[in-house]
Amino acid sequence: MTITLEKMRADVAAIIHEDPSEIGFDDNLMDLGLDSMRLMNLILTWQEAGVDLDFGEFAEEFTLNGWWRAIEAKQANA
Amino acid sequence: MSSLSAKPIGSAMPSGEHLLTEAQSGLWYVQQIDPSNPILNASQYVELAGELDIDLFRQAFAQMVEEADCLSLTFHSGVFGPSQRLDAGTRPLLEIVDLRSEANPASVAVALMQADTARPVDLGQGPVSRFTLFRLSEDRHYWYERIHHLAIDGYGIVLVTNRVGEIYSGLKSGTGTGTPFAPFTQAMDDGAAYLFDDRRRRDAEFWRNELANLPEVVSLASGRAVSEHSFRRETRHLSQDLFSALVARAERAKVTWPDLLTTLVASYCRRFASAAELVTGVPHMGRLGSKAARVPCTLMNVLPVRFENTDHMPLDEAAVVHAKRLMACRRHGRYRSEQLRRDLGLIGGQRRLFGPLINVQPFDMPPKFDGLDVSLHILGAGAVDDITFTFRGDAKTSLMMEVDSNPALYSDQDTKDHSARLIAYLENALKAERLADVVLASPDERQRYLFEVNATLHSVEDVTLVELIERTMRTHPDAPAVIFEGQTLTYAELDRRSLALASQLVEKGAGPDRLVAVALPRSLELIIALFAILRSGAAYLPLDVSHPKDRLSRILSSAQPVVILGEENSADLFDHALLPPSRWRWNAQRTDWPVATTDNLAYVIYTSGSTGEPKGVMIEHRAIVNRLEWMRQHYRFGPADRILQKTPVTFDVSVWEFFLPALCSATLVVGPPEAHRDPLAIARIIRNENITTLHFVPSMLSAFMAEPSVEGLEVSRVFCSGEELTAEQRDRFHRLIKGELHNLYGPTEAAVDVSYWEASASDTSSPLPIGWPVWNTRLYVLDDHLQPLPPGVAGHLYLGGVQLARGYLGRDDLTSDRFLPDPFTEGRRIYKTGDMAKLRADGAVVYLGRSDHQVKIRGLRIELGEIEAAIMTSGLVREAVVVAREDRPGDKRIVAYVVADPLLAIETLRESISSKVPDYMMPAGFVRLDALPVTSNGKLDRRALPAPVIDIAAGRRASSPLEQLLAILFKEILELDDEPTAESDFFSLGGDSLSAVQLCLRIRTETGTDPGLGAIFEHPAICDLAKVLEKAGSDEGLGPIIRLVRGDETLAPVFLIHPAGGIAWGYRHLAQQLGRRPVYGIQSPTLSKEAVSPEDLTSLAASYAELIRRTYTGIYHIAGWSVGGILAQAVAVELHEQGLAVGLVALLDSYPCDCWRAEPEPDETAALRALLAIAGHDPLEHPELVTKDAIIAFLKQDGSSLGGLPDAALGGVIRSVLDTNRLVRGHYHKRFDGTLTHFRAALDHKDMNLNPALWAAYCAEVETVDVACLHPQMTSAGAVQTIAPEILSRLTLLEKKGTA
Repeated sequence: MTITLEKMRADVAAIIHEDPSEIGFDDNLMDLGLDSMRLMNLILTWQEAGVDLDFGEFAEEFTLNGWWRAIEAKQANA
Repeated sequence: MSSLSAKPIGSAMPSGEHLLTEAQSGLWYVQQIDPSNPILNASQYVELAGELDIDLFRQAFAQMVEEADCLSLTFHSGVFGPSQRLDAGTRPLLEIVDLRSEANPASVAVALMQADTARPVDLGQGPVSRFTLFRLSEDRHYWYERIHHLAIDGYGIVLVTNRVGEIYSGLKSGTGTGTPFAPFTQAMDDGAAYLFDDRRRRDAEFWRNELANLPEVVSLASGRAVSEHSFRRETRHLSQDLFSALVARAERAKVTWPDLLTTLVASYCRRFASAAELVTGVPHMGRLGSKAARVPCTLMNVLPVRFENTDHMPLDEAAVVHAKRLMACRRHGRYRSEQLRRDLGLIGGQRRLFGPLINVQPFDMPPKFDGLDVSLHILGAGAVDDITFTFRGDAKTSLMMEVDSNPALYSDQDTKDHSARLIAYLENALKAERLADVVLASPDERQRYLFEVNATLHSVEDVTLVELIERTMRTHPDAPAVIFEGQTLTYAELDRRSLALASQLVEKGAGPDRLVAVALPRSLELIIALFAILRSGAAYLPLDVSHPKDRLSRILSSAQPVVILGEENSADLFDHALLPPSRWRWNAQRTDWPVATTDNLAYVIYTSGSTGEPKGVMIEHRAIVNRLEWMRQHYRFGPADRILQKTPVTFDVSVWEFFLPALCSATLVVGPPEAHRDPLAIARIIRNENITTLHFVPSMLSAFMAEPSVEGLEVSRVFCSGEELTAEQRDRFHRLIKGELHNLYGPTEAAVDVSYWEASASDTSSPLPIGWPVWNTRLYVLDDHLQPLPPGVAGHLYLGGVQLARGYLGRDDLTSDRFLPDPFTEGRRIYKTGDMAKLRADGAVVYLGRSDHQVKIRGLRIELGEIEAAIMTSGLVREAVVVAREDRPGDKRIVAYVVADPLLAIETLRESISSKVPDYMMPAGFVRLDALPVTSNGKLDRRALPAPVIDIAAGRRASSPLEQLLAILFKEILELDDEPTAESDFFSLGGDSLSAVQLCLRIRTETGTDPGLGAIFEHPAICDLAKVLEKAGSDEGLGPIIRLVRGDETLAPVFLIHPAGGIAWGYRHLAQQLGRRPVYGIQSPTLSKEAVSPEDLTSLAASYAELIRRTYTGIYHIAGWSVGGILAQAVAVELHEQGLAVGLVALLDSYPCDCWRAEPEPDETAALRALLAIAGHDPLEHPELVTKDAIIAFLKQDGSSLGGLPDAALGGVIRSVLDTNRLVRGHYHKRFDGTLTHFRAALDHKDMNLNPALWAAYCAEVETVDVACLHPQMTSAGAVQTIAPEILSRLTLLEKKGTA
């Protein structure tokens, strides 16, 4: 898997016109302006990079750390 | 979770009271201000087409209700603030209504849904939600959902609706019913945790910076933005082309389409409001990604988002600017807007946080039901304070727009127009590089208001003014041309004298496009001079010798006139050659000089520029001939007219006064010098000289109308121009004067006037328009980018057409500044007036004032004219002018100047206008003047208005007892150091909704009058609130229900129903003897409302039952004397039929209606004499009182409480007495299934066979108590000694028993 937490943050930052450092790992990404359609786009890119999470799993916990935990959990179970 | 006062609430918790969340509190106060307003009912219906499995649907619904706690909440006001509890008894059931046999089931269903949505919800009783499945046919159903917004927000409704679809589909296909909703506690915990989170502090900090220097909150209409009980709606489905373009453009700009859409709508609104910056409300669901993501509840917040003007930027860049701002606001979007209002002191009065709402809901798609075609119809989505633009849909398959508007601010047409115009704006915006290039007006509006309204083409003979004048001189030589102080010149004489002078001027060098100055007072010579100059081929240049010498010499050095026609004694003023009348030639020696053409100048008039440097406006013959010929024909001037000349020659209004008579062979009557400032002199001239037409500057018209001798004056036409003519002046004119009134408008730069409006007696326009373009003239209202504006939008007024001046003499720079190429008509020019204006829908133009004189005070736009009108209509002053002064920098205040009777108390005036203008428009100071100062042109001289001497900063001490009480309460509740002044505003001093509730309670305790929370919000100033309380106090005692004894509220109250007079105060003795029971009096609706006559006694009783039911819940004790007893029995029947517990029903010497039907009808006198009995007099002792007036006079003089009633209420008592006979005779009792307790006046009824047993037919049992008194004495202090203990003993007994 080529994805990293930093990479995810950079991707999110780009899509919401923010500087990556402006985004906290525990920030609610919805509050930052990330909406479902932009999330869809991100998920497609990340799935290509090997992330095996679906939309519902992303929507539940809307923070970078939350996503990362879910990704790690998936990895551990794989 | 930290320890909190807001404990979690949910199915897991035992039932109990819990405080509302922050999100709910705001809504609770909105509802509290007007409990009967149903606007917070959110409702929608889902159209289900196809074969619906009703049992499955029922099952799915039941499962959803089990999961969604919020649907069975009830709400209560408690000591610590509003609270809620879960009340399983109010859990909604699915109602199924079969409409299959209806001819038009769909419209029946919609009507039923609308009626239900329009019904206010009793939040304390619940249920707060309702669900109905309407069966229209086998394969068509409407599923109706209605939930109060305190329980759920828009996103919550989506969750609830979709959940039913999910469960239904899962059950149908057997694939499982999905994940249940997270418990309500989850959302509550989340919300409570936030209250104490550091994040909330950071959010507050963000908003403090974000909203610093918030601009004036504006919207698409002006007025009080408080939700009505309903709203208007326009729904449009956006075309596939449009939403595809939206998505594509959003992708190109790298923003989301909802943000781009919000940006475009905000730009539309900002431009429509003509504001530099707009604050919109952006609803924020505030929960996706939080633990409340899947909890149906109320969490929605409305964020104030600022949109500055970025229309000049490339749209793709501007979109990013606004999208970033939206994202930043959302990041801090949990911070409640209600809290923001408190932080910013924007509570109460007319203060607002944002204007229009823009709500994009991409998640709002129809739910999915397996096997069915589903569509969604939104009925109500909450309060519409102003205007709300809602977009629902994913912009992939559909996007729907709803424009919801407050009917108090927007008409049906306004709402339709906004929908159509906004869609056109969106279409054009998505194609545009920058929004500045997008026209705000729709294509239809552009066509209509640029071209159709301005289709004024009219052929006018191509001749000079000279030719027209000379024609009359030839055709009417003997007609009187000019009259001045008893001297008359005929046209032949004027011809000879002016031609002679003209020849002299030609010799001095006059000719086409040369100037000759005139500096003469009003006189025959002045007229001769003007005609002579024109006939010489030159243009005239009027000068006012009273102007400073410096100004005059600057004008002369720039104009270079060939000669000055002035009086000898003015020689020292002029360095140029002066030609006084004494040296004028009397006969022409030659007439062969070159004449002017229509392109040559007719006159040059200097106006003062904003820079102070006078500017010479050059008007050509063609322009002024158009103006004069239009006027002559439009108003049908003829030889019989006598036109008064009183306007100074330096003011261009004088041009038509001087020359119009010569175009129609009429007579010019020249008023004496200075006459234009003397109302009495003008009135005399009009009468003595039979004037048919004259002109006033509006402020002079006001002064004129204040002159007593003006009343009854007749004059054919009065023209006004030069200032704004108000609707109030129009109305006053028609009350006083018989004649036409016309409002004209135009700058000197466009040959006197370019627009006209007939201010007739039947005209009700307010504001009064300046109207329509004259012949060959165009009026444009344009924005900053010279684009046309739709009606209603303030913009710059531009003029075009044949009347435009050639330019400014010797100032090509200024000319090219103000005279621009017409962007809409090739090769023409337009003139920028510097005036602000707006169009009416019919195309008439409304003047809004100078663009550099917009008055705003504390951010609120002030309509000075409106305040003036309020002062004038008070009838207390003769003249008034209101200005905004800034005597100390940054401290702008409204000051009213009045000319009034010296005896008038300013306080009286202040009171009179306080009911007509909003608080923020109330002048801070009033200044009395003997007369309003005017300039030499007769216009109001604003600069000469003195600064107010009163100290308006100090404020008045609270004076009346009520004001003093309020001052003390304000000080206590708001913990102030000093007692506030009478003008102090509760919210400005730091009050908020919660402390307002406290104040409300304290006022009720201290005064016994409940002002209602709404009154505090509407009248937050001590002096205003005191007035409201005073009024409420004086009305008290006449309302439908009065509290006779407060008592112990844990005991069931006794309701005493009024006797024939309709009032219940007569029960005061009885009420005081009923232990600690609360006692209410029920009073007739005829008392407080004019001409309310109940249909019959049964319906009256039903309305009382309703009133009683709303006042108290529990066992009902009712009693009444005389007719009151008949009503008590009927009320008992009604309550019993509703399944409510009825306790004591006591009749104080009342007998069934049958007894009265047999009696002869009493006459009016007898009925009126009953009033005496009501007031406590024995009618037998006063046989002399037989007329209504005599009885009223007696009662008033006697000082009884009845006599002390306001006349309207006394009228109500009399109506009630007179109506009683009809009600009683028309009433047929129903049986009451319980005991009637009858108190019999044992000493009375010797002549009639009146017996309590007569009631036996109308109840289960009658028990009788004898009281040793006569019928009229039943409520006396003596009789109640017997009655009260009997009643009390029964109350306790009955309450133990439970019911009757």
